[in-house]
Formats: sequence, structure tokens, C-alpha cells
Amino acid sequence: MTLLLISLFGALGCVVRYVMEYGVRRHHPTNRPWATVAANALGSGVAGYAAYRLVGSADAHVRDVVLTGFCGGLTTFSSAFAIPAILQREHHWGYSLALVITTPLTCAGLFALGMALAHL
Amino acid sequence: MSANVTLKPREFVMALSSTAAGGFVGTLLRDLLVRFEHLPSPTSGSVTWPQEIPWMLLAINFVGVFLATRLLRGPLRGHDPNDLTRLLVITGFFGGLTSYSGLFVDLAAIWHLCIGGAIGVAVGAVLSGVLAAWLGLLRHRR
Repeated sequence: MTLLLISLFGALGCVVRYVMEYGVRRHHPTNRPWATVAANALGSGVAGYAAYRLVGSADAHVRDVVLTGFCGGLTTFSSAFAIPAILQREHHWGYSLALVITTPLTCAGLFALGMALAHL
Repeated sequence: MSANVTLKPREFVMALSSTAAGGFVGTLLRDLLVRFEHLPSPTSGSVTWPQEIPWMLLAINFVGVFLATRLLRGPLRGHDPNDLTRLLVITGFFGGLTSYSGLFVDLAAIWHLCIGGAIGVAVGAVLSGVLAAWLGLLRHRR
């Protein structure tokens, strides 16, 4: 049952990420993955908050559903590196490099912020 | 890669369904693989930071980046970001299979044991992503 819920919430996370990407492209046509970076940052922030709040939780299933499922689906490692690689091949060197460097730093910062907010 | 498309309601529902289907399978596969790594082992005693390194997730992320790059540069090259196949495979399946947040959750556990170890694993994870993407491009270089 937990496995099913984790998968369903993972699917939900992916859908939220897609809606963010679609919303950005619809109003601001671009091949640059702003929304993917935002989704990764948001997912990392939620994960930081949930990881702190739910650590040692009596119900480990909730932790798995939120962290492994929803946050795992909302964030993506594959597109975070595949898209910059494609952009680099299209000669957007500086932008590609900036993405590779700033995305993990932004995600780490949001994860720490999430933990700090949970600690308040 | 560029797109300036407003989908019709029916197309939007199809796009959401395609993404959800891929995400469901990708998340399920990731969870099963990570559970396999965390099967109880006979070792006991205090936990050291190298034991906390999420090798399975690192491997999943590496393979995910490699295959996604290869597909985007090969069979899915030029496919619109709203293309159902791309949504199913790239946004859904590989998006669900790989995880950035899961990496940080695991890094937080290492951070409590060894800050230098956590930074080292984080740098290694980023470099492995760069390497996987570079390898994914290799086949299509001229």
C-alpha cells in the first residue's frame, strides 16, 4: 500500500513540475529550464522541511510518501544535467555552466532553509 | 526545445496523464531499487559516514542523466516539450526515477557524521552528473 502511495505521490510531483514548466513556457517562451530549476529548488525546500519535521516520525510511511514520493517526483536530477548538456551543444556555454553550478547550490540552500523553518 | 504552445484542454489532460504515468513507474522503480540497497545487513555497531553514502541513488541518477541526454540528443531530438512521448519518458519516467531532493536528504545524514564527507559526496554527485551527460552526448558527436 505504501509503495502504491509513494508512486502516486511521485506521479503527482512530476505533474506539478510539468505544470510549472508549462506555465512558464506558455507565458514566457524559452528553451531555458527556469521552471525545472524552480521545481528542483522548491522540492528541495519541501524535502528539508519534511525531513526535519518527520525525522523519527512514528509513521515512517508518511515520511516515505512525502520525501521519496512527492519530493522525489517534483525534483529531477536527469533534466538538471541533460538540459544544460543539450544547451552546451547549442553553444550556450556560459548559461549551461551557470545552471550546473547554481542549481545544486540553490537546492542546497533551499533544503537548509526548509530545515531551518521546520526548526522554528 | 523551444515551444510557444497553449494546449487545448484535452491535450493538456493527455499531457498530464502522460507525465503522471511515467512519473508513477519511475518513482516506483527508484523506490524498489533504493529499498533493495537498504535491506537489513548482519553488520552492527556505530555507523560511519561512508556507510551512509547513497550509492544506489547516485547510480540511478547517473544512469538517468546518461539515458535522458542520449534520448534528447537522439530519438527525441527536436521533440516539443509538450510531446507526449517526451513527457512520458523524460519529464515523467526519468524525472520520477532520478531525484535531487533524495540526494540532499541522504547528504544531511552524512553531514551529521562528517561535514567534509557530505561536501565530498555532494561534489562527487555533481561531477557524476556532468560525466553522465558528457557520455550521453558522445555518441552523437561528429
